[in-house]
Amino acid sequence: MDLFSNLALGFATAATPLNLGFCLIGVILGTLIGVLPGIGATATIAMLLPITFQLEPVSSLIMLAGIYYGAQYGGSTTAILINMPGESSSAVTAIDGYQMARRGKAGTALAVAALGSFFAGTVATLLVAIFAPPLTAVALQFGAAEYFSLMVLGLVCAVALAHGSFLKALAMVVLGLLLGLVGTDIYTGAPRFTLGLPELADGLSFVALAVGVFGIAEILRNLEGGQGDREVLGQKLGGLFPSREDLKAMVGPMLRGTALGSALGILPGGGAVLAAFGSYTIEKRLSKRPEEFGQGAIAGVAGPESANNAGAQTSFIPLLTLGIPANPVMALMVGAMIIQGIVPGPNVATEQPALFWGIIASMWIGNLMLIVLNLPLIGIWVKLLKVPYHVLFPIIIAFSSIGVYSVKGNAFDLFAVAGFGLLGYVFLKLRCEPAPLLLGFVLGPLLEENLRRAMILGRGDPMVFLTRPISAGLLVLTLAVVVIMLMPRVRRKREEVFVEGD
Amino acid sequence: MASLSRIGSLTAAAILLASAAVAQGYPDRQVTMVVPFAAGGPTDTVARLVAEKMSADLGQQIIVENVGGAGGTLGAAQVAEAEADGYTILLHHIGMATSESLYRELPYNALEAFAPVGLVTEVPMTVVARADFEPADMASFVTYVKENADTITMANAGIGAASHLCGMLLMQALEAPIVTVPYRGTGPAMTELVGGQIDIMCDQTTNTTEQIQGGTIKAYAVTTPERLDLFPDLPTAAEAGLPGIEVSVWHGIYAPAGTPQEAVDRLSTSLQTVLADPELSTRLAELGTAPSPVEDGTPEALSAKLSAEIERWRPIIEEAGVYAD
Amino acid sequence: MRDRSFDPTDLAAGVVFTVLGLAFGVSTLGLERGTALRMGPGYAPLVLAAVLTLLGVLIVVAGLRSRGVEGIGPLAWRGMAFLLSAPILFGLTVRGLGFVPAIFLATLLASLASPRLKSWQVLGLAVAITLFSTLVFSYALGLPFRRFGPWLSF
Repeated sequence: MDLFSNLALGFATAATPLNLGFCLIGVILGTLIGVLPGIGATATIAMLLPITFQLEPVSSLIMLAGIYYGAQYGGSTTAILINMPGESSSAVTAIDGYQMARRGKAGTALAVAALGSFFAGTVATLLVAIFAPPLTAVALQFGAAEYFSLMVLGLVCAVALAHGSFLKALAMVVLGLLLGLVGTDIYTGAPRFTLGLPELADGLSFVALAVGVFGIAEILRNLEGGQGDREVLGQKLGGLFPSREDLKAMVGPMLRGTALGSALGILPGGGAVLAAFGSYTIEKRLSKRPEEFGQGAIAGVAGPESANNAGAQTSFIPLLTLGIPANPVMALMVGAMIIQGIVPGPNVATEQPALFWGIIASMWIGNLMLIVLNLPLIGIWVKLLKVPYHVLFPIIIAFSSIGVYSVKGNAFDLFAVAGFGLLGYVFLKLRCEPAPLLLGFVLGPLLEENLRRAMILGRGDPMVFLTRPISAGLLVLTLAVVVIMLMPRVRRKREEVFVEGD
Repeated sequence: MASLSRIGSLTAAAILLASAAVAQGYPDRQVTMVVPFAAGGPTDTVARLVAEKMSADLGQQIIVENVGGAGGTLGAAQVAEAEADGYTILLHHIGMATSESLYRELPYNALEAFAPVGLVTEVPMTVVARADFEPADMASFVTYVKENADTITMANAGIGAASHLCGMLLMQALEAPIVTVPYRGTGPAMTELVGGQIDIMCDQTTNTTEQIQGGTIKAYAVTTPERLDLFPDLPTAAEAGLPGIEVSVWHGIYAPAGTPQEAVDRLSTSLQTVLADPELSTRLAELGTAPSPVEDGTPEALSAKLSAEIERWRPIIEEAGVYAD
Repeated sequence: MRDRSFDPTDLAAGVVFTVLGLAFGVSTLGLERGTALRMGPGYAPLVLAAVLTLLGVLIVVAGLRSRGVEGIGPLAWRGMAFLLSAPILFGLTVRGLGFVPAIFLATLLASLASPRLKSWQVLGLAVAITLFSTLVFSYALGLPFRRFGPWLSF
């Protein structure tokens, strides 16, 4: 069978000592930079990209892939340890991961994230190797109507993210949608909510929003009472590694997260983000103790992390089979390829088989290296929490300022960090959770854009959402979710949770 | 207070000395090339290829800084305000000319705020369609689109994007009000074209070449005065009876106005050396484009191009009534 | 607000959402709305702003009915003052003063958010962070930041 000879070629290319070395360097660098607060995968890759230009094309791309996985993992580490997600997908990990860390289970959370990522990475790499072309065909079936219906489904799920008041969660989603619409309307060029500032023409920066409402708000909360560390994280550190029960608890979420992430990752745009949020929602629904979610549930880390990593892997599919980048990270990869003299397109697999399969093989190798590297590192990361908080938080502020600034070289984004930090703190005091706000922010523009596009393409006929089978299927699923949410038993459970909650 | 004023005069002297030094040994430290678009995009790629070559020639590193936002106007504004010492330069594309009409409130004047250095490359564009679009060649494309104007959809990568400019020209030439569907960037637009969700588009060869060669989309014509070596079988739009559609995405390097002449000249000579570099030609050819002729790597050539293009696009954009702010 | 029979956080949250909803709503008025079938740039924002306002009002009503659980608690005034101004200061100075002085000043400012550091500790921390970031971001990674900006050029 072709697959084996192809994979053999891939491993032969990727597993030369030189390329293994570059992969390792990439993973290490990616982790080290990605773990700095406020610096997510996109910023890390943009920073490290120039280093790879001097290498051979294959080595360069293998190293870049290593950087990507390293940065993703590093980003999750910061999300868990200090509640500072540098990327939309790790925002979900922050919800329960950070709560685990507060409860002295930082080591467990990190290990669960690492194991979940590795498993998801392995499965998704296999999927990429075997099914890349047919999966591409599926992704191409997604037009505006399908995207719109998918976003509606995602939005309905978003409300389930919250563990407090239903109304407040809903309001946060809507506010997120509105903030997502800030910027120039792509259909007419009309500026919306830009206050006349050209810096807002392309909308608000996600990183600034995430760093502000999650990270900065949390620091402010810790500074209450004027002591500088109302809550020292490092004081009670439980076991570093997950217990047998922990491992048992993560298997189901990991499998479901991997499946969801692999499926949504192939869709350009919001696919991978939806996967992490979706996985969280599913786990919360399936859990026997949904009240644990938001308080440090293992499933709330294992599921989204697996989904996130599986999605990261399968988001290579449109790039590898069509040469079209699915997200900003993939766009950077395309840039790297072009500078190396490879123009990615539908023919890469046939014209450059060693490169194509080499990258696929290095995906798995990179994931393997990550876990080998990171399981021992967990001890070190957790020790970081012993750094006194009043020393840690200026470091966090310094690095997140650099990280936010490096993305676009725009001072305005730093002002936005401060603004969102204040907003996040206000919401924290008012017991409104930030996660639904972030999801709304990501989905807002996609939702509106695809709705309007679908209407234009469908000549103003709203039936397009029902006559196109995939879209109709997604809407039926949405309806089912709503019905389940409104069912009296679940509802009562929700309200109990609300009463019990803090 | 006396010491303060002394510091002031010392500083003034230092600045004078510094600017004298600029004129002599330019460049004696690294130069920042601002690209007003995100890293990894087509303009960024051109910039990085050229910057690498120019660094070798200048003996000083040129580093690329991406200052994206507002259709390239944020990065351009930043360079317009930067110190005119030759250590901050800008690489911008056709948007430098079109934003003069697309933006009603631009913080700079493209003709006055910059000292042109030279033209870098002109990327041709192609008229393309989904792979199963009915017409077989450009002639039948023209009649087909005219007859079915109300059911055909055309993609572009957003207001002011090259695909948007070319689309406006195409509609004018065909006298057919085709339904235009904007996307957020070339990536999503191309995905939907490949997926057959949308009918036609006009985009740069940097984006279309691989897809055309891979058969995932269909090409009808090129927008250059002559046929391209890359696609010898594709007619020019003029051959197909649409003489108005001549458009290319040209890239130029600019310094802030007031930059010392020595610095501008040094940059321009360096650019000309690079334009003659065979390796740059090879790299650009892979992208479906070519370096500008060496004689265009001069301030005069870029200056002429910029004024001509501002005047050319103004009526087209005004007639279409589109604004990006 | 001090009346213990209301939940002050719900009331305040409701008011915040209502105000934000109205503010967004007012700023959509200049935008072309279009119809449901051919939406203009103002359509979705207006609908969303209306929904947000409505939700805000509902939260206020719910807050009036529920029993107060806990108050707003202490506020980190000192934290807000110093912490939030740090990224702003960095943004204002990174181009003019350059990367090194900007990150130094921002860290200095941020460390003042906690009263627990003595002044020499604050200084030491700021120097250490500045050294580390300059080595990593400017030298090792070669990010295109000017280390010392035009305001300091001699």
